[in-house]
Amino acid sequence: MWTFIIRRLLQSAIVIIGVTLITFTALQMSGDPTYLYVSERATEEEIQRTREALGFDKPLPEQYLTFLGKLAQGDFGNSLSYKRPAIEAVMDALPATLELTFFAMILAIVVAIPLGVIASLNRGSAADGSVMTMAMLGQSIPSFWLGIMMIMFFGLQLRILPISGHVPFIMPLIQGNFMQALTNLPQSLYYLIMPGFAVAFYSISRNARLVRSSMLEVLGQDFVRTARAKGISESAVVIHHALRNAWLPVVTMIGLEFGFLIGGVVVVEIVFSWPGLGRLVFNAINQRDIPVVQAAVVTLAMVFIALNLIVDLVYAKIDPRVKL
Amino acid sequence: MVAFNRFVFAGALTMAAPVAAIAAPPDNTIIVGLSADASTFDPAQISSRDNSNIAKHIFATLFKVNFEGEIEPELVDKTTISDDGLAYTFTIKPDLTCEDGEPLTAEDVAYSFNRPADKASAFTGNTPGFVYTTLGFKSAEVVDDLNVTVNLTAKTTLALGMMAQVYIHCQDSYEAMTVEEAASNPIGSGSYRLASWERGSEIVLEKIKDPGTFDTIIWRIIPEASTRTAELIAGNVDIITNVAPDQVGAINDSGSAKVAQVDGTRRMQVGFNLGKGVEGMPGAKEIQDPKVRFAMQYAVDVPSICTQLLGTECTRMTSLVNPPNGNPDLLPIPYDPDMAEKLLDEAGYPRGEGGTRFSIRLQGPRGRYLNDANVVQAIGQYLNDVGINTEVELLEWASVYSPLLRTKEMGPLFFLGQGGVTWNPLYDMSLFSTPDGATNYQSWTDQRWFDDWKLAIDADTVEAARPVINRMLKLFYDEGPWLQLYFQPDFYGVSNRIEWTPRRDEEIELFAATLS
Repeated sequence: MWTFIIRRLLQSAIVIIGVTLITFTALQMSGDPTYLYVSERATEEEIQRTREALGFDKPLPEQYLTFLGKLAQGDFGNSLSYKRPAIEAVMDALPATLELTFFAMILAIVVAIPLGVIASLNRGSAADGSVMTMAMLGQSIPSFWLGIMMIMFFGLQLRILPISGHVPFIMPLIQGNFMQALTNLPQSLYYLIMPGFAVAFYSISRNARLVRSSMLEVLGQDFVRTARAKGISESAVVIHHALRNAWLPVVTMIGLEFGFLIGGVVVVEIVFSWPGLGRLVFNAINQRDIPVVQAAVVTLAMVFIALNLIVDLVYAKIDPRVKL
Repeated sequence: MVAFNRFVFAGALTMAAPVAAIAAPPDNTIIVGLSADASTFDPAQISSRDNSNIAKHIFATLFKVNFEGEIEPELVDKTTISDDGLAYTFTIKPDLTCEDGEPLTAEDVAYSFNRPADKASAFTGNTPGFVYTTLGFKSAEVVDDLNVTVNLTAKTTLALGMMAQVYIHCQDSYEAMTVEEAASNPIGSGSYRLASWERGSEIVLEKIKDPGTFDTIIWRIIPEASTRTAELIAGNVDIITNVAPDQVGAINDSGSAKVAQVDGTRRMQVGFNLGKGVEGMPGAKEIQDPKVRFAMQYAVDVPSICTQLLGTECTRMTSLVNPPNGNPDLLPIPYDPDMAEKLLDEAGYPRGEGGTRFSIRLQGPRGRYLNDANVVQAIGQYLNDVGINTEVELLEWASVYSPLLRTKEMGPLFFLGQGGVTWNPLYDMSLFSTPDGATNYQSWTDQRWFDDWKLAIDADTVEAARPVINRMLKLFYDEGPWLQLYFQPDFYGVSNRIEWTPRRDEEIELFAATLS
């Protein structure tokens, strides 16, 4: 297993270098970044002086290598907008995004699996039809529209959920302030309900369909029939035999899900004023804040790679056929 | 059962606590919903309007621009200007203090002026970048405890207005901090102090002295316009900025808030790029002719654009200067496509085959200004109607449009809005202070304008320069490099709970806001 992990880590390094190359090239293609560092009324001499001071007058390959060298030390440079290290801005925003993504992921699993199981056990019934209709809607409705509709209904009409905002939970934990985190937890969850559901709805729908089809396939197999013939209760057949085997494709999907959810939170973070990484990157792109974009993309790539590695390890653990 | 009861109780608490959190603000608190967060509170680094709107409650300035757009002293008791106009000596009010109790003296004022100019620190905020370039700032020197002299490189009537943008702070406090600490721990000289800043979420200010009606000001960061509107209608915020025209009705019908509209000072125009950046492109040669530029003014129905696309009537521009500082003899050019066609014929560009006179590209940003994409497309259609085959191109602002502007390669026609002021016409006109100046995006080189500019900027007062200013504005009207559109209207949502009137200059000043 360790050989596998080391091999994957080496592959990850190549992926991260690829990610940095793509972001560096893409951002350089949008023009001379010197203008971002000088005022609107700067003279040509001031612009040239700044260009030289920041190294933007050097050939692009040299600039890239310098960038990589600094990156190896965790230095992405200072944010143009926030006037502080870009990686600090990213690390400040990351916990809020992780809260939203994990909450959405939990929703996507906890809601989708029972729905998929119910639909599969009642194939062709009204319950099955309802779940499939919901799944179709969930995969058709854009998350930002769903978010705005939820704000209008639950926030404005019923006034039972907060329209926007965020109460931190992970950040106090990171800072070692466990009491604060615990105190914040109820409000954190309360503020997570709408944005979490808006992010998760698509995944709930997709996972419910996946669980349903996977369960239908497993329920028709011989070992399930054998289990039933042995007189095992239906709940035990479903939970211990069918669901356990139907679980494998779902685990694979959950691994990929995280990347999808992180991508999906950008718009939802803006709609719900959620101070996360998606919003930070969106603003950074709008303001051509190159250091923040690079820091965020590399951080997300690393998080995504780490999660995929974890999923692979979990997969090997639950499926004895998989050898690492 | 006991466990179940505990569970229910905990659940009820969980739900009850947050409900309290979204209750209406208390009477001593005002909440503003902004679209963007502050980026820094270092006085030398602050650059955006949203950021400075908050900072102006933390830092006092020597002068301030009041609601009427006039400059009035804030920390200053007396001003003396040297005969050559290059040295301004200010006597500051006695017994001033900074937030931490440190006495605020002339030494601190000099420090506040010199710190942003420190080349080694390479500050990039509005003060070292825009203010000092326009002001011609040279140095600030202490005369005694209450007197400080600010030296300039050139005489200008813009001096006091530009100095009104320099935030005053205490030297000892700032010398004890690193640049990083100064960014998030402002120690100001104004009425409020920064109590907390949850990045991306909210900034809380607490009142420490007068002026100021509310004890607490909360700036909530709500990027999405419809969410800001919902928060306003729900009574969770008191003021919101940048209300979209399609949400005006919802707010006004809500019964809990209303929309306050003000004619802003942002000057919306179609720029004619007359420079080398577009040389050889279709239409670039034709717009070199002032007659063609003037004819195109008649082709665009600006009032209809305002009512149909911005949802309001706008104040039309007659020059690049904000009212009431313009040339009173100039009237907005009416929509008259027949006149446009006649003038284009006379300029030597009759309709050719297919009814086209010449082709040109019109570029515009998307999402930068109020309903900009639709306005640009409408302008393109109006120009097409008079035989100018206009290709409209909408571009992303930060990564495409802004770099093109900076390198003067956009256009040949380009849609742009530029902020202005009401306290001095020369500020608005300073966009064209030199033929190759950075803000002369149009590369306009008419020597008559630049000769007059030297006369105007050399005058002792704006009143003395008025005849020259009026002559320049007439030249701009007839032959200038702008297709003049309108002053962008600004829409604010204001809760019925409070009384507050927006300013024209996009500044959000809450000192005088009160409960209804």
